[in-house]
Amino acid sequence: MLRLIGRRLLLMIPTLILVSILIFALAEVFVPGSVGRSILGPYVTEEQVQLLNERLGADRPIVVRYLSWAGGFVTGDWGDSALLKVPVRPLVMEAFWHSLLLAGFALVLIVPASIALGVFAGLRRDSVLDRTITVSSLSMTVIPEFVSGVVLLYVFAVWLKWLPVTALPPDGSPFYTRLYYLILPAIPLMFLELGYIARMARVGTVQVLSMPYIRTAVLKGLPRSRVVFGHVLRNAMVPTVTVIGSQVGWLLGGLVVVEKLFNYPGIGRLMVEAALAHDIPLLEASVLLVAVVYMIANLIADIVVALLNPRIRMGG
Amino acid sequence: MDDHRQTSLGPDPDLRKEAAELGADPEMIELRAEAAASAREGRLPADQDRRDQELQADAAAAAEQKRQRRYLVKALLRSPTFMIGLIILLFWVFMAIFSTSLTQSYTAQDAMSSLKPPSAAHWFGTDDLGRDVFARMMAGARTVLVIAPLATALALLWGSIIGLVAGFWRGLTDDIIMRGIDVLLALPIIITSILILSLFGKGTAIIILTIGILFTPVVSRTVRAAVIGEREREYVLAARLRGERSSFVMAREILPNIMQPIIVEGTVRLGYAVFTAATLAFLGFGLAPPSPDWGLTIATQRVFLQIAPWTVLFPALALASLVVAINLITDGLGRTFSK
Repeated sequence: MLRLIGRRLLLMIPTLILVSILIFALAEVFVPGSVGRSILGPYVTEEQVQLLNERLGADRPIVVRYLSWAGGFVTGDWGDSALLKVPVRPLVMEAFWHSLLLAGFALVLIVPASIALGVFAGLRRDSVLDRTITVSSLSMTVIPEFVSGVVLLYVFAVWLKWLPVTALPPDGSPFYTRLYYLILPAIPLMFLELGYIARMARVGTVQVLSMPYIRTAVLKGLPRSRVVFGHVLRNAMVPTVTVIGSQVGWLLGGLVVVEKLFNYPGIGRLMVEAALAHDIPLLEASVLLVAVVYMIANLIADIVVALLNPRIRMGG
Repeated sequence: MDDHRQTSLGPDPDLRKEAAELGADPEMIELRAEAAASAREGRLPADQDRRDQELQADAAAAAEQKRQRRYLVKALLRSPTFMIGLIILLFWVFMAIFSTSLTQSYTAQDAMSSLKPPSAAHWFGTDDLGRDVFARMMAGARTVLVIAPLATALALLWGSIIGLVAGFWRGLTDDIIMRGIDVLLALPIIITSILILSLFGKGTAIIILTIGILFTPVVSRTVRAAVIGEREREYVLAARLRGERSSFVMAREILPNIMQPIIVEGTVRLGYAVFTAATLAFLGFGLAPPSPDWGLTIATQRVFLQIAPWTVLFPALALASLVVAINLITDGLGRTFSK
């Protein structure tokens, strides 16, 4: 098990290096003009641009700049925001914790809801209920989260007034109030994942139900609930967890949109603002952080799958 | 395994053995090899009967294919999910092309009737600038129905080429391509496109290219998997035994046989291309106002959700109906093909 984790961690390093090169190359090589020019704008002299370039170290060769940027990221020096003139790291980290709370809350809602739907559909395979669950949950998945978001906002916040319109409670609110404010933003994120995870849970259930040991369990007189909870659920979990891991990317993309829609100060909104304002250091740091989180999330999903499936655990 | 690259005239003996091991009909292989060799040399084969037989077999195969295709079309026409999806999609395609000459002007502003609720004059109300929401909702189909299909077509083209090459050649080429794809997929698509669009500027062409590039890895994975399933089949071996070039085998032998998974993948990607294009517009990386694009309209009008919800809800409904329609088509196609 430890060897599996170790090997996966080692495999992450080259991918991470390549991704960081990609981000750096996109941000620094393909941008027309120099760094200094993009900060100062078109109305200053070439000399002033040169001066700023020297101060920022932007006149050094590209490889040296990449190494100093990547080294800075590893050691915790993420540079200064070009626009706000403050260190990037506290800015990004604060936004990151906001996002983590929202994403974590959404995941807490997503997993039981989609597994319940999927298992339910799988147990009544090919029935009207099964078709309804499958088609409607998949439709939820393909509808962009800002579309489901505005409709939910209208219905629950504007029309019924059950939930607040904003995502952030007044300062100093207790933790449960923060969660209450996050219900509405979390639901579009939940929809985004629902279809896939429910589908995998359904496929897992259908497969498990066709296994001989389920027939044995039924024939030896186990009550249906024991069969479902003891055998079906446990084994249907394996493909489900796998797909949850692979869906973290969609969840991160969804965060970008939901945070903008609800004006929530998370890393997604920060990224969009940095991109629209051409704040390259801020953009690079937040994208790289998201890439790292994404890979770690995939790794955790692999580990959970291994824990659930002894064959992988032993073989690893 | 590089023997298939050889283009010498005679079939390679190793390959012939391999074919026999896989249970290919040796006579048929000989026949095809001979026919191909003689065709190359520009003379008729010695045995005219055999050639006729082969031609007849080809004709029968073609007829069989035609029959199957007819059957598929019939099955699709009977699938309710497919038909409902198709009707909604065709409605939006029609509106994208003709709505500007059917509805009121979608750009005409009227300061006197700003944010008016639905009425006889404005069926779906007016927005903050007094523009007709119905006209803008119909015209909004255009941008997304230009961007998404073109981006999907690009992704299908590049993805098919990359998938064919990786799956057919395998070995080092495959390893390098698949590693590159892993890196491209290491970031969520929305985030990579934000990165690209913020650096290269906005504009329809750049959005199409970006979505096309970012969807290519997923398509090439699907195509590669399908090619790997086909490459050991008899007909591929036969083509290789005839000494056909790799490019010919890929494009003319394998490709027609993996069209079904490619079509299904294409409709899935089309749905996501609509999703991605609309999301980018919503985030501010798409077209600029006064474009009636749905994502952009929702982004700019959402501040009026509390006082004039019709400005936001109608474009949201339009976008939702389009993606769900494409999803229904995908579902219908997938079900029909898998039967």
